[in-house]
Amino acid sequence: MRLLGGIFDLGPLPRRSATRGRDNMLTVGFCLAVAWVLYWLDGHGDPYLVHMLTMAALFATLAVSYNLINGVTGQLSLEPNAFVACGAYVTALLTLSPQEKMASFILEPLVWPLSEFCIPLLPALLIAGSLTALMAFLMGFPVFRVRGDYLAIVTLGFGEVIRVVAENAQSVTNGPLGLKGIPRDTNIWWAWGLLGVTLFVIVRLVNSSYGRALKAVREDETAAEAMGINAFWHKMLAFCTSAFFEGVAGGLLAHLLTAISPKQFDFLFTFTLLIIIVIGGLGSTTGALLGAFLVTFGSEHLRFVEEGFTVPLIGLDIPAIPGMRMVIFSLLLVMIMIFMRRGLLGRHEFSWRWLAAVLGRRTPAGGGK
Amino acid sequence: MRRSLLEIKGLSCSFGGLRAVDGLDLELEPGVLAGLIGPNGAGKTTCFNLITGRVKPTGGRVTFEGRDLAGLRPSRINHRGIARTFQNIRLFGDLSALENVLVGFHGGLRASFISAILRLPGYVRQERQMEKRAEELLELVGLGRLINEKAANLAYGSQRLLEIARALATGPKLLLLDEPAAGMNPQETATLSRLVLRLRDEMGLTILLIEHDMHFVMNICQSLTVLDQGRVIARGTPRAVQLDKAVIEAYLGAGIEMAQEEGGDA
Repeated sequence: MRLLGGIFDLGPLPRRSATRGRDNMLTVGFCLAVAWVLYWLDGHGDPYLVHMLTMAALFATLAVSYNLINGVTGQLSLEPNAFVACGAYVTALLTLSPQEKMASFILEPLVWPLSEFCIPLLPALLIAGSLTALMAFLMGFPVFRVRGDYLAIVTLGFGEVIRVVAENAQSVTNGPLGLKGIPRDTNIWWAWGLLGVTLFVIVRLVNSSYGRALKAVREDETAAEAMGINAFWHKMLAFCTSAFFEGVAGGLLAHLLTAISPKQFDFLFTFTLLIIIVIGGLGSTTGALLGAFLVTFGSEHLRFVEEGFTVPLIGLDIPAIPGMRMVIFSLLLVMIMIFMRRGLLGRHEFSWRWLAAVLGRRTPAGGGK
Repeated sequence: MRRSLLEIKGLSCSFGGLRAVDGLDLELEPGVLAGLIGPNGAGKTTCFNLITGRVKPTGGRVTFEGRDLAGLRPSRINHRGIARTFQNIRLFGDLSALENVLVGFHGGLRASFISAILRLPGYVRQERQMEKRAEELLELVGLGRLINEKAANLAYGSQRLLEIARALATGPKLLLLDEPAAGMNPQETATLSRLVLRLRDEMGLTILLIEHDMHFVMNICQSLTVLDQGRVIARGTPRAVQLDKAVIEAYLGAGIEMAQEEGGDA
């Protein structure tokens, strides 16, 4: 049981924490409870809700990884759409059967080795993640020569380049037609499993000596360098780690949507992720998690505003306006920026100790002195 | 003859037309506590920036333990054994005092990020060790009670001390202190003097410090180098420097005696 607790031990290494054992047990319990709820929903729940939960988990994975480079390391970069596209295309090309590929590539046939390949999903995802990380590695050399706003612009450019490549490299990506007929292999377990692994790796990385170095680079790059931290390689570490998980999530996204095309991976995709991590609180992993669920479910529940409705009581008719959801999201973002400038959680993390403190304050009997 | 730890030969640096440092020569023997003084804008901080690789020199050489430091990243120079503090405090504001010091130990960590994620025994052992030594360093500089305080929330004097602790964590042989006593009251300055002397005597560090507080400098430094407009105008023991004519001129303005003479003539 202690071993189990140790595996789920995500916090910083202990100094003198009396509640550590309890906190780990709570984490184990929470994960088991989530798994049970998912299992129940998978069997008995509304298929639409299951689909939404799957989608939310993928977006949470993306947000948590994106937050590692943007929030924790403080390098404002705008290219995750490129990484997700890379992961999605690589996975799809590796898993589609040769017959499907032949049927899809009507304008120009698929280049030779790829046209014969067909491997199972798991190795395909690992290859996709690794290739995306490699792409990030190569991209890191030029882009990390600049910082701040310049970095944002350069990475934005790279994101667009990848999309344009996907549109024009017809013999590999099938151009604007995209890839269709991808088997719908992603279920709730794949998505939540990936989220679990991502959280485990990233939270532990952030709470390690490497994580402190990443935060030091965010706080003051000059001072970090003077204290013996090679800022370039640490940015690269965060960038590649985040790219790996974004690539894998992209692969699962392809297998959830069953069809991908370059249009899906335009800048709006990155923008959605940016909204998620800013709402949650830049630099907070639990904040990114919270933001992902709020935005994914929020945008579904706001669907009605685009279909036209009548405001109750006043009887005001609102016509159907496509794109109205984005307006509401923008307003929401503006409100958050005015009233909670650092997002819902700021740079804080949810922790059991914090929850215990809050509950202890509410009920003095349980909280002791 | 003892080999010098740091050897600077003909070091120059220009920003546009301004010669911030102009043909500077400086030698430091191991275990010495030396001061670098001069009026504002004399090029003292630029000199530190040149030694630590933050600014690239336009001429000259810096040799540390007989090895040239040219073209190395600041982090590599730090690994060679040179650590510094900053004149305008540059702490990691959002991190706690302890974490600030722990960041200093990171460069010496011998564990990959994979073993850090998996928390392999080798990494965990080092992390524990780092934590113990970080607490000792904070105790040494007198911040033992504030280890969990956010760096940004510390008092000004404490922030300067935390910068020293963080620099010590990188395991330097040469410590460069940029105005460590700035903004401190006399009592804090006295404590700082004792700390700096302890660092030299007990930890065997070589220390070069920039300071405007002359009382502080004259009391603890064994040798002084005086800069003015990027050039060395005097060097020697604090007493000798105090009496040096060029130094008095640089600080008080040239031609005080001349002005008096002219006044007499008129």
